[in-house]
Amino acid sequence: MFPMPIKKTKPWTRFAYQVFLPITLLLWLLPLLGVALTSIKPAADLDSGNYFGLPSRVAIENYWLVFTNSNIGYYFWNSIKVTIPTVICSISLSLLAGFALATYSFRSNLIIFFMFVAGNFVPFQILAIPVRDLTINLGLYDTTLGLALSHIAFQTGFCTLFMRNFIKALPDALIESARVEGVNEWKIFWHIVVPLVRPAIAALAVLVFTFIWNEYFWATIMSQSVDVRPVTAGINELSGEWKAQWELISAASIITAAPPVLMFFLMQKHFIAGLTLGATKG
Amino acid sequence: MAEVRLSGIRKSFGPNEVIKGVDLQIPDGSFCVFVGPSGCGKSTLLRMIAGLEDITDGSLEIGGHEMIDVAPAKRGVAMVFQSYALYPHMTVADNVTFGLRMANHPKEDTEKRCHEAARMLKLNELLDRKPSQLSGGQRQRVAIGRAIVRNPEVFLFDEPLSNLDAALRVEMRAEIIRLHSKLDATMIYVTHDQVEAMTMADIIVVLDKGMIEQVGSPLELYHEPNTLFVARFMGSPQMNTFAVDLSDAGNGNVSCTLPGGSSIQLDGSSLTAGKATFGIRPEHLDIVAEGELQGRAALCERLGAETILHVDIGLSDPIIVKADGLMDVKEGDAIGLKLNPKACHLFGPDDRRVRSGSLQ
Repeated sequence: MFPMPIKKTKPWTRFAYQVFLPITLLLWLLPLLGVALTSIKPAADLDSGNYFGLPSRVAIENYWLVFTNSNIGYYFWNSIKVTIPTVICSISLSLLAGFALATYSFRSNLIIFFMFVAGNFVPFQILAIPVRDLTINLGLYDTTLGLALSHIAFQTGFCTLFMRNFIKALPDALIESARVEGVNEWKIFWHIVVPLVRPAIAALAVLVFTFIWNEYFWATIMSQSVDVRPVTAGINELSGEWKAQWELISAASIITAAPPVLMFFLMQKHFIAGLTLGATKG
Repeated sequence: MAEVRLSGIRKSFGPNEVIKGVDLQIPDGSFCVFVGPSGCGKSTLLRMIAGLEDITDGSLEIGGHEMIDVAPAKRGVAMVFQSYALYPHMTVADNVTFGLRMANHPKEDTEKRCHEAARMLKLNELLDRKPSQLSGGQRQRVAIGRAIVRNPEVFLFDEPLSNLDAALRVEMRAEIIRLHSKLDATMIYVTHDQVEAMTMADIIVVLDKGMIEQVGSPLELYHEPNTLFVARFMGSPQMNTFAVDLSDAGNGNVSCTLPGGSSIQLDGSSLTAGKATFGIRPEHLDIVAEGELQGRAALCERLGAETILHVDIGLSDPIIVKADGLMDVKEGDAIGLKLNPKACHLFGPDDRRVRSGSLQ
């Protein structure tokens, strides 16, 4: 039986396991615990040097102060304005591109597909300056549209790779049989392909949502104003000129980290079904 | 109702020519079976008729209309796939009516046709189920139902029974034959199973390497194969074939020197001298003490009603004999085989028939 149950192993293995498991777990969770703890410390605790100890009282009002004393609320809304359209557009585009690449054989099919794949390997850091110049020239610099468009452009490559392979795994006969029945290609796409790759759509939605929501690089490069800046870049504002408000930064971080986690748990069922869809028959 | 006519049909995938000029006329209302070993091009030919593959060269007429540039849906054909190709996210009823619904066919008629097809195929109880809740046979019936509701002039079946187990296959075979007599439509059926071909077809088309070997009724192909390929392909166990020397025996007869040295005189051979291939079916050999062929029983397969004997006569392949089930022969026994002269086939050096053993 693999792996061997820990109860059946030699005593010293068991001992090492019982000692190191909690230590590893603690190490793993330490940053998160630290942030969570700091987020409920009153400002006075930090001022008096209580960085690592327990809070003197539970200052839950930090979570409220974040919204009233800073622009985090705007930034949060900005993130939503960028993330949701990006998820919708890159998945729609990749569904269409994936369908074409998976079901039609045309001469440049493989070349286009490999370009999508290869595009994923280009380090986006080297594109930072050209993309920034491009958006400035197009008048899209520091706009939600500009930020969303650059995200869509970068995400669609990966999504297309993912979708093309999922659609390719559908039996050809399904599509052929619909063609013989006189169903046009759009209807085949909409009534047969889309419902059958729904798990893949759910999985991609979670992935892309998480990518974009947590994204920091483009957020700092492409946005400056309060109306555009996403929450990941916006948190920075809380470290003031003279003093970093760690308790507020921590509270904001926890709030910011919540949506992807929430999204994951909401879609978990689809997400896991999606990852194993191609593995079994039917 | 429609006749299907293929003339000079060719198909190439890149430099590979897979269909090398097929001329065929399938009469209206007939049940035509394409049969051949895998890779012979039978499925490709069917897919070309369906419109799923381009035709590289030649002409295809269905019901007197040229179909080369006509979309699959407008050809008046319906196809049943080997893998059933049911849409897993739709119920049986939705599967059956999908094509009609997408074409905005009147709702009432769609439902009427769906129920008619369901009644014909005994699917009434299953209309609300999903394909995953059906057995293999039921799935195949749904796939056939989907073809029926479209009211096609030509049904195309691409190895529809090969995913089913043996008992179900026999049952579905009968069902498709029944359907054919009821619907009166032209049916073209692809299989690699010569038993299916023999039992179902009005016309069998034997294909090999992208060319038609022979077209004819099942019994014609069985008793009068034109080529060695057809002779070996049709019939199970397959025809015994071995090399013989021919010499002219006068009066229009030839004398064949058989393995083991004895000879048999046959009439009506167009080839009278030289090397030839001799063919005789397992059921046309009688077990006797002294026969034209002498050998040793190497293996007895007792099937009950009959016994299949593998007789070693010193050739690389044994001679297969279909004998009575009560035949008292044991493995290792020395036996003689008597040949029925009327059942002896001869094939020339080009593997074409020079004498037919049609029992007449």
